Amino acid sequence: MPASNSTNRERQRARVAVVAAGIVSPLGFGLRETFASLEQARDCISPVTRFSVAECRCQTAGQIADDRLASEAGSVQRSKRWHRAAQMMVVALRETLEQDPHFRPELAVVGTTSGGMTFGEQYYRSLHTGGRLHGAASLVANYPPQKPVIDAQEAFGISAPCQVIANACASGTNAIGHAFECIRSGRYQRILTGGYDALSELVFVGFDSLQASTAEKCRPFDRGRTGLVLGEGAAIMALENFASAQSRGAKILAEIVGYGISTDNHHLTQPNPNGIGARQAMQGALKSAGLEANRVDYINAHGTATPFNDAAEGKAIADLFANVPVSSTKGMMGHSLGAAGAIEGVIGILALGEQLLPANLHFEEGDAGLPLNIVANEPRRAPIQTVLSNSFGFGGTNASVIFQTNAA
Amino acid sequence: MSIRLAGMGWVTPLGRGIGQVWEALRRGERANTEQVSSPLNERTYPVYRVPQSATATLPPHSRLRRSSAISRFAVAAGLDALEEAGLKLDAEAAARTALVFASANGGVVYTKRFYHEVVETGARAASPLLFPETVFNAPASHLAAILGITGASYTVVGDGAVGLLAMKMAEDLMASEALDQCLVVAAEEVDWLLCDAYRRWRLLRATAPVEPFALPARGTILSEGAGALVLSRAGDVRLEQVDPGSNFARQREAPTHVGRVVANLAGSEIDLVSASANGTFVDEAERRAFAEYCPHARVYPIKGALGEGVGAASLWQVICAGQALRTNTLPTASQTVLHAGEVTVDARVERHAFGRAIVSACGLNQQVAGLALSLAN
Repeated sequence: MPASNSTNRERQRARVAVVAAGIVSPLGFGLRETFASLEQARDCISPVTRFSVAECRCQTAGQIADDRLASEAGSVQRSKRWHRAAQMMVVALRETLEQDPHFRPELAVVGTTSGGMTFGEQYYRSLHTGGRLHGAASLVANYPPQKPVIDAQEAFGISAPCQVIANACASGTNAIGHAFECIRSGRYQRILTGGYDALSELVFVGFDSLQASTAEKCRPFDRGRTGLVLGEGAAIMALENFASAQSRGAKILAEIVGYGISTDNHHLTQPNPNGIGARQAMQGALKSAGLEANRVDYINAHGTATPFNDAAEGKAIADLFANVPVSSTKGMMGHSLGAAGAIEGVIGILALGEQLLPANLHFEEGDAGLPLNIVANEPRRAPIQTVLSNSFGFGGTNASVIFQTNAA
Repeated sequence: MSIRLAGMGWVTPLGRGIGQVWEALRRGERANTEQVSSPLNERTYPVYRVPQSATATLPPHSRLRRSSAISRFAVAAGLDALEEAGLKLDAEAAARTALVFASANGGVVYTKRFYHEVVETGARAASPLLFPETVFNAPASHLAAILGITGASYTVVGDGAVGLLAMKMAEDLMASEALDQCLVVAAEEVDWLLCDAYRRWRLLRATAPVEPFALPARGTILSEGAGALVLSRAGDVRLEQVDPGSNFARQREAPTHVGRVVANLAGSEIDLVSASANGTFVDEAERRAFAEYCPHARVYPIKGALGEGVGAASLWQVICAGQALRTNTLPTASQTVLHAGEVTVDARVERHAFGRAIVSACGLNQQVAGLALSLAN
């Protein structure tokens, strides 16, 4: 089908390169460890140690070890009072800037859902018990969601204005998508983007109260799935106008070519079962990229393993795509909420770079009548030029972003 | 591409509606404070609250049944801004409308209530009805559902400058030909827990009023409400530029960052500055910047009348600047006014010839931003 005039106009806009990326998640610290975990299809979910989960159905999460996090962030961390989310951002940003030390962003667009929530919890518990609260002002100052983004920048001498997007679980992909559109429009040359979230009791208990989290393994798209497992982490991408990156000889990890966003007004916490929100986001990304659906080689699905999400997303994928390989990597590392889209975006870039389809763990059999090509349990080698990554969240926010190899 | 303010909506402790609030400000009214108290340590705090009547007439909608005050403020302001812009969002118009919602503290009342149950009784007592309302984008979700917006909806979080960062996002979104308008809404709800936190941060004062630019700075009083703006390609006030600013690491660095933004926006002629001064370190940062870069502008600090609305405040400031440009009037300054670099008290109701205004927002948690408005020809 020939591209429409509007699609042609879209493609005449500036191209957007990913020139560097950094990541920390339960899969590991940095791109190399992350890829090793993907290659081995490691299950990185473990019993929760950060707070008591004795009264919760779910007892597990994808977690980042405190001692290593503190050690990795310590060399540039300016204050011991920083939230561990800030430490995650420092680790991810350091890896990014090690790849491109001269990258200076005009803007930082970062997603999160809960900022420094654990500091809020600590503050409230102390008030509740009537105990003396040491460092109260510090807890207050380090609680807001923009703080980890500012802290991490400060650690590396950057002070770009921060647009912190809190679109629930779609935040990370929304941040990448908005940053992409800002550069594509020609209004910006360089933007730091990504997402972060640290595990917190309030959010953990919240998902448990909704019975959205599971006492079992997280089994995305499996017929017997019973819910999600939470995770945590941070991922950063340095985006740049493609021509600018090329002219200064920057290494280009991937190109972002499309972004779609939609709002599903069905319910505050549940997607429309007909999958319309997910479908509109993916269609929007394809239109923005000027691509037909058959050009997509791999979909990194939102795939939380809740019955509702996977049914709606699976239906939307099946409606739009024919036999494209699909996996949710949340079975390996849990759902890191505002960080998820950014982490999974980096996983998409690794998939492109290494020509590897990441595995969808704990999958036995899909929903009846839902023909999905799930990358079940083991990663697969495959030629991949185009990756679509999905994130959907509370409030009906849906976002899809498309990455391509530089040569595509 | 020229972006204009096509409609405005105001939900404040002085009431709801551009006309009503503006007239109250012109009469020199200040909102009255109420006392809120912490059940945990028996402290009391003065706050400025939105009168219940302001949201009593919201159209019935299932999304508003259990929603918190912040969502109701956001919906009221958003609906008013659309009405003032003369926009009725049918499906086609809604598809060409983006929503950007901004807040600093989000749904703090429900968040506190949810976590209180967890602390008090244990995780088994956690309410599945409350939890979804604790999510930052719950107000945006409700507003989108009520308006039928199915495209772009973003929630942006930050400090007192977040409203202007949301305006920057809206300006960037409007670069797309796929959009005809963007509704920007910023909202905040007040609670004793926030007061307790700001007190420990040494930013609160114990009694009204807020005295912007007074020396010494005696602290601020928290407030609540919402502001909403419809950005479009037609309208009587032009959005000249949004400067998303930068982040100061320490309070003593704030003057440099505010100065950079004001210098960038001031240009040759500035008639009016809508300031974020609130009785804290922010005042000194703005005083220095205005004295250096726009010493002849009239400066109006709206927080003297409405209190520190945090996430909502910078949109209140934009509305104030827009309304001053539209009407060539400025509220009666029953509070201190900075003029020509000097602090003066000006109680006159004057007519002015305002052609260009800037809004300065220095947040309490490191973010600084600004924007410039002018009358459209």
